[in-house]
Amino acid sequence: MPELLEVRNVVAGYGSGPAILNGADLHVSPGEIQCIIGPNGAGKSTLMKAITGLLPIRSGEIRLMGERIDRLRPDQILQKGIAFVPQERALFPRMSVRENLRMGGYTIRDERELKRRIDDVLHRFPILSERASQHAGTMSGGQQQMLAMARTLIVRPKIVMLDEPSLGLAPMIVQQMFDIMRQLRDSGMTVLLVEQNAVVGLKNADRGTVLDLGRTLFSGPARDILKDPRVRELYLGKAAA
Amino acid sequence: MLASTLQVLILGLALGGVYALMASGLTLIFGVMRIVNLAHPIMIIAGAFVAYWLFRLYGLDPILAMPIAASVLFVIGVVLYKLVFEKEAASAKYSEMTVLLTFAVALCADGLLGALFSNTQRVTTPAYATDAFIFGTVFIPKGQAYAGAISLLVIGALLAFLNFSRFGTAIRATTQNRAAAQLMGVNVGRVSLITFGIGIALAGAAGALVSFLFSFFPAKHWEWIAILMSLVVLGGMGKLMGAILSAFLLSVIAAFVGTYFGSTWSTMTFFLALFVILLVRPQGLLGDRQEEA
Repeated sequence: MPELLEVRNVVAGYGSGPAILNGADLHVSPGEIQCIIGPNGAGKSTLMKAITGLLPIRSGEIRLMGERIDRLRPDQILQKGIAFVPQERALFPRMSVRENLRMGGYTIRDERELKRRIDDVLHRFPILSERASQHAGTMSGGQQQMLAMARTLIVRPKIVMLDEPSLGLAPMIVQQMFDIMRQLRDSGMTVLLVEQNAVVGLKNADRGTVLDLGRTLFSGPARDILKDPRVRELYLGKAAA
Repeated sequence: MLASTLQVLILGLALGGVYALMASGLTLIFGVMRIVNLAHPIMIIAGAFVAYWLFRLYGLDPILAMPIAASVLFVIGVVLYKLVFEKEAASAKYSEMTVLLTFAVALCADGLLGALFSNTQRVTTPAYATDAFIFGTVFIPKGQAYAGAISLLVIGALLAFLNFSRFGTAIRATTQNRAAAQLMGVNVGRVSLITFGIGIALAGAAGALVSFLFSFFPAKHWEWIAILMSLVVLGGMGKLMGAILSAFLLSVIAAFVGTYFGSTWSTMTFFLALFVILLVRPQGLLGDRQEEA
């Protein structure tokens, strides 16, 4: 299957500080859920920010369907088809649910089309429909995460990227999130997520990529990675391997 | 007693509208770009000069000169942002740098206006500036009444633009969460540029009103920095509605203080409010602690 997203030998860091990514690689195929795992400080979130253009890369290249995107701004990368939900969910707290969804479709100029897509998303997420006039900042963590995911769907991206979607959520809500991700995959979308909880992430993914110290250690089917002794070693230390 | 109280209240509200217009551009710029624009008051003076010369040379009413002053200052704002602030946006010490840069801009603009027009006091004198509405024993100067009403119209137009237009929504989104706005496809560089222009244009529009309300000269802007900062801090940095509310509140209080204790104490109202709010509620009336952190 041709690659949808390719990250090759990327080096990146914040300001003039040391590099956090030291030659990271990533290959994402269309229609899969891929989970990036790794210990704290591995560079998982940094990799997400580099792909979405929030963090300029120092060297290497990032390609979407063969086209280089590593010199584009975040708004241009969104228009190419990559939507991102960062760890802090990045909602507009003093805007209503509906206004947040409208911002999700900021790049859509056709007002009728935008309204139709917002209605579609509200139909898919009834809890958001009930709270359409509520300010996003006043909702629970689970509802906010749902809104953040729903908002990315307005532009119908090729890839939805989620950074730690389970962070701070109850297990039942986490399971709902992964159910939604599977629905997205089944509808032809590609999901790329970062998870600190490797077991939860890999159990719900098709493929996994293991990152450590800013480098890609290995990648493969998620089920195989779950059983891989190197992953146990990475997370639990050598004695457990 | 009742009539004089009513008169002071109306005068306070009218001047509050003008202060709100002055502060709106300052807080808008801070909200989107985190620039504490110490050059904002000198831009108001520049707007006053545009209105003054249009009045002197062509007899154009300062109220009708408002759109021209706003347009001239919009262009100055856009050029200033491109030349001075755009490159600094990536700097790790951006906020500190912008304080120094805006201070430098204020000094340069002050010097330039002084060299061009000298530091003599000026004022435009349309007929209504020396006329008044008289209701029984209540006496309302027409100049202040018109300036207050027009300020409210401009602020209303600004709020409508921010709340109901696509670009205005992008400005609000950038104010609330810059990174999220980028992720939604907003070109925040362009939003910053245009917002800076709009903020300076609002200063220009306020300047046209100032030209007949107060006598002005280039160095006068130093007096206004603390007054405008107190309005913005009291409302909550970057909170437009907060700045508007605090402008009306402090202006009315200052009007009463001025009437009963003298004009020196009237100005002190703004400084005292600044001290008290920083001690008691540093995030301002409409700010919240979470955002402050």
